[in-house]
Amino acid sequence: MSSRKSLIKIKPNSYKDGEIVKVSFMVMHPMETGMRKDKTTKEIIPAKYVNSVKFEYNSKVITTMTVWESLSTNPVFTTYMKINGEGRFSVTYSDSTGEVHEKSMKIKPKG
Amino acid sequence: MQRRDFFKQLGAVATIAAISPALSFADEAKKPKGPNDLSFKAALDAITGGKGAVESSKVSLKVPEIAENGAVVPVTVEVESPMTDSDYVKAIHILATKNANTRCIDVHLTPANGKAMFATRIKLGDTQDVTAIVALSNGTFLTASQNVKVTIGGCG
Repeated sequence: MSSRKSLIKIKPNSYKDGEIVKVSFMVMHPMETGMRKDKTTKEIIPAKYVNSVKFEYNSKVITTMTVWESLSTNPVFTTYMKINGEGRFSVTYSDSTGEVHEKSMKIKPKG
Repeated sequence: MQRRDFFKQLGAVATIAAISPALSFADEAKKPKGPNDLSFKAALDAITGGKGAVESSKVSLKVPEIAENGAVVPVTVEVESPMTDSDYVKAIHILATKNANTRCIDVHLTPANGKAMFATRIKLGDTQDVTAIVALSNGTFLTASQNVKVTIGGCG
């Protein structure tokens, strides 16, 4: 389970310094609520959901999120961010079973 | 004879009264329990600290009125705010009033966001209200809510 697919998207594709851009982060995650039963074995599927997400830009915290099980499977988190020089944008997320992952992206404003 | 009948009836009534609460408890136990169930009122008190939130037109909540699939309901919350160091949106909370655990997500924003907006997708088990509670940096709470009709529930 070490390789969980995730994606960071920044819109628009090319941006200037000081511009406010839309950032979205998607992750492939089952988001099990712990209330669903397996149809064949009739056993409750244990809960497993993303419980915290952190957006960082040049190691400065931009947004932190506390998440519960009512988010959809393969959740998406979209917000805005102010571009402030060249650097690195990184997302750290963990789930209720203790998995911790990180994904990062280079920020390079034009002009 | 009449007295004996009266006591018989009294006994019958007493047994029914004793059994009925047990029955209702059994009914409640049948409901599936999530790992962290929370009612809407308890969640509201936990967020606002018992202060309550004021309905405001500054908060715009975009949710479809009819959701065909309750498993994927897009929610967008936008707040009118200058997002400066002295006046900004501290947090956005999204709640689904009738889900087993009403709290969906808490988003803690900072002035570095530039714009107070958050979008995600949530699961809804039944037709219900979706509520956004916004915490401002001056300590006040704003709210907006909308009813969503769900055709197929997304929690089973």
